[in-house]
Order: sequence, then structure tokens, then C-alpha cells
Amino acid sequence: MARTLMRFTGVGGQGVLLAGEIFAAAKIKEGGYGLKTATYTSQVRGGPTVVDITLDDNEIFYPYANDGEIDFMLSVAQASYNLFKNGVSEGGTIVIEPNLVHPTDEDRKKWNIVEIPIITIAKDEVGNVITQSVIALAIANTYMKALDDELLRNVMLSKVPAKVHDVNNKAYDLGKKYAEEALAKMAS
Amino acid sequence: METREIISTGNDLAAIAAVDAGCMFFGGYPITPSSEVMHTISDLLPAVGGTAIQMEDEIAGIAAAAGAGMAGVRTMTATSGPGVSLKAENLGLTQMAEVPLVLVNVMRGGPSTGLPTRVSQGDVRQARNPSHGDYRSITLCAGNLAECYTETVRAFNLADRFMQPVIVLLDETIGHMHGKAIIPTAEEVKKGIVPRKQFTGAPEDYRPYGVGPDEPAVLNPMFQGYRYHFTGLHHDAKGFPTEEIETCRKLIQRLEDKVMMHTDELELNEEFMCDDLEENDVLIIAYGSVSLAAKEAIRHLRADGIKAGLFRPITLWPSPAERIKHFTDKVKNVLCVELNIRQYTEEVERVASRLDIHGLYKVNGRAISPYEIVNKVKEII
Repeated sequence: MARTLMRFTGVGGQGVLLAGEIFAAAKIKEGGYGLKTATYTSQVRGGPTVVDITLDDNEIFYPYANDGEIDFMLSVAQASYNLFKNGVSEGGTIVIEPNLVHPTDEDRKKWNIVEIPIITIAKDEVGNVITQSVIALAIANTYMKALDDELLRNVMLSKVPAKVHDVNNKAYDLGKKYAEEALAKMAS
Repeated sequence: METREIISTGNDLAAIAAVDAGCMFFGGYPITPSSEVMHTISDLLPAVGGTAIQMEDEIAGIAAAAGAGMAGVRTMTATSGPGVSLKAENLGLTQMAEVPLVLVNVMRGGPSTGLPTRVSQGDVRQARNPSHGDYRSITLCAGNLAECYTETVRAFNLADRFMQPVIVLLDETIGHMHGKAIIPTAEEVKKGIVPRKQFTGAPEDYRPYGVGPDEPAVLNPMFQGYRYHFTGLHHDAKGFPTEEIETCRKLIQRLEDKVMMHTDELELNEEFMCDDLEENDVLIIAYGSVSLAAKEAIRHLRADGIKAGLFRPITLWPSPAERIKHFTDKVKNVLCVELNIRQYTEEVERVASRLDIHGLYKVNGRAISPYEIVNKVKEII
């Protein structure tokens, strides 16, 4: 596999960091290399946060995504979207939470912008807003086909307490479903 | 050597390493981006019968850690640059009283409070002389996740060998990055522990500072009948203050010589794709997280037909003077890449006796990318 570069952006406290750790750990479990780096501001809660995830079969040295080389970005906050969108390669996919992120017309020409109401799904369908990071994880993997779904799901479950396995499984399934629907819609 | 695979961050690996190396005490005060070292060791130490304590500030943190070192146990503190500024006085005391101690500094932007959450290597010069007076800093610098573990272990062993503080430099990138590290097993680490020397003769014959001209003090653990005195003042063989001319001279000369006459025990470097370098090729000198970008850059440069290699000091202080000179005598194009302004370049200039060393520096809290290094190399050749 060639190098896969993904970027999750949000605001501090939304759980995007954990999603990055799960991706990296799952790739390592598979026998490859995975690295997660996070950049955040000194404003701990509510400050713009970006997580870069690099997956490769070969050793990764530089841990950050180079601007313009990112294949996939997911954003659940406008401020972070504005700050970090330019890292995405032209034609790359950006999944946004449409209630919170409003791309310009130019953005829509430059990138494949996909609207999935991640927060609403977490709140209303899963019933727990914290699961948004697991929904994001499933969406990213459905788009990137970076890792085996069950491997990723199992690593995710190993990082959360057993009592919330059901709710996180549900979140993963819903993320995958919405992503597959979005992909099918684009193909049609 | 038996190894194991761990998925972790640099900060957590430093904490795990400390406990595996036999550290039994941590005194500190949390500061971004080093706080996870303290969080993690606070979980780990009580499980092995050790103690971690959050003091009221950075000064008290190192003072408590130094006290544990005086009592005879392996001890650590962790902080970032602003914390080192506060701890400087006690670092001086541990140099003078020859108390082994490990200080992990996860570097962030400076000076002053600087850029708390951003990466920097601005404390390299500070690590060389954090406090006033004549002494030699031993400073190690981790360049990847595994070294956050192995260099912390090495720091504990060197602290006991040289009887002085040893600084481990991490930076925000390496401290927080999360990935795979292949590290020695805890059993392997335990096998490598050489406890500090102890005097076993009659207590009345004990002279903790009455050692050879290039030897460190022999400080027995407290409460075992061997009485002596700790002070930051110039002191005699038993540790009591003195102004006797020769005693004072010999003491400070010994602090210098115990390190500088044994640099062979300290030096550790990585030479990445340096074997085939010739006069007109490119030598990059970088350390810490910047070396990761440099390695990636060298891959790109070699793919473009430009022969480049990386020399990476892992022990920053004392600097690997002869090895640097070996390369700078051989290769014309030398580029230092640092997340500060010329802090190690000046050392390279000194040991190379060259003033034409090129530099690529960044001080805005952002990492240097491989492409920036590639472009700079193309500019200088």
C-alpha cells in the first residue's frame, strides 16, 4: 500500500485525537506502520485541533502530513476547517458536518466535499454525542479503505470500556452506512 | 537483546523507561507539553512501591527529586523550558553536590512562556549551562519514539555513573506523537543497571568527595551510618564548606574532568546514509524530531540523484567533536537544521573550525518539513 494521509479536525474536547490513535494502532496491529500527531493551541477546550494520521507498510519518519498531500480530511468545526483545509490534495475528499461547517463555492470546486451530519447522528441516532469520533473513524475508513473494518472496530473496542461497546458498535455501523450511502449517491 | 513492540507516545515511553530503569521517585509540576510524563509515572510508580509527588511549583519539584537522589534512590523530574529556567538553581546544586538525577525536558517554543503547545528545540543551549559556574552538562536527545525510552534508561545509568544530573531532551512533536516503538524488554533494562558506587569501609574512613581527579563522588545512601554533608558551597572531602585554595581548585577541575576525560562513555550518534559521502555531497546535521524530516528529505534527495546523509548526535552535550570534524573535514556542503536559531550550528562551527556551515532554522512553533530541507539543500549545492 502506498502511504495514506488522513486529517481529522475539530475543536479540543471532541475526541478527534482518540480516533487518530485508533487508526495508527490498527495499522500497526496489521504489521505496518502508523503514526498520529496532533496539533492544538493553548486553548485546551474549544481551540482548533488537527490530527494527522499517516499509515504505511514501510517505516514512516516525518510524522506530519505535508500540505497538499492529504488524501482525506474530516471536519466538525468551521474554524479548524478554515485553518487546515489547504493540506488536502486537489480532488481529495473532505467530509464535513453540514450543520457546523460551511465550505465556499470555490472549496466545492477544488475538493470532493461530502456532507454527513456526524454530530446529529451521534446525538439522535446513537444517543451519545461522544461517539462522534467513532462515527468519524468508520466514515474515514469507508472512504479510504485503509484497513480491514473488523480489525479497526476491534482496536476501537479495545480502547473503550466494555459497558459502552454496544453504543460504539452502533456508532461504527452508522458511520459506515452513511459513508456508503454518500459514496453510492456520488456514483449514481 | 530481547525487544518488545509498544504503541505509545514519547512522553509515556519516557515514564515507562524511568520505572523500568529503577526510578523510585518523581517530583514535579505539570507543564505543557511534558505533563503526560508526570501523569503516567504517577500511575506507574505506586505499583512498584515508588513515590510520585506533585509539588507546589517546578522549583519544589526538582528539590524533592534531588532530595530523593541524596537519599540514594533513582529519581526524576520532567518539565519544559520554562520549568528548566525555574529548576536551574537546583540543577546547579546537583552538579556541585554530585547528586544523580534525571531531568526530562519536552521542549516547546520560548523564550519565557513562549508557545506552550508548539514544537521547538530552543533549549539546546540552555541544557548546556542551565546554571552558573563551571561544570559539564550531560544532555541526551531522543530522535524517535524508541529513543524516548532508551535514552531515558541511558540517562539513569549515566547519572549514577557520573554522579550528576542528566538531561533528556524531547520535543513537543516526539513527546506527543503516537506510534510504534521497538524497545528492550524491562528484563533487559534491569540487566543493564549498574547501581551507583558505594563505600563499604568503616564509617570514620568515609570521604564521599575524596576521590581521584577524574572520578565522581561516592555518595552512600542515607541512614546507613555514613554521615556526610551536602552543600552548594565549595567543599572538602567530607562535604563541608571550605575556601582552601587547592581544595577549591581541585573540586571544580574534577567536575570538569570526571566528564570530559570520559566522553567515550557518553558519545552516541546515528549516521544515516553517510557511508558513501564524498567531498561534493551533502551532510545534514540534525537531532531530535527534526532528524525525522531530514531522513525523509534524504530519501527524496537521493531519488533525485543528490547524495546526502544525516549525522545525528544523540548525546548533544558533550558534543561528539571528533566525529563531527571527521565529516566536516570530508564533506564540503554541510547543513544544520534546527528548530532554533543556530544553537547547535555554533557548536558545529567550533568543532569543525569552519564558518561556512549552512543553516535552516525555524522558530514559529511549526515543524520543518522534508520539502523545506530538500529545497534548502538544492539551494546550497
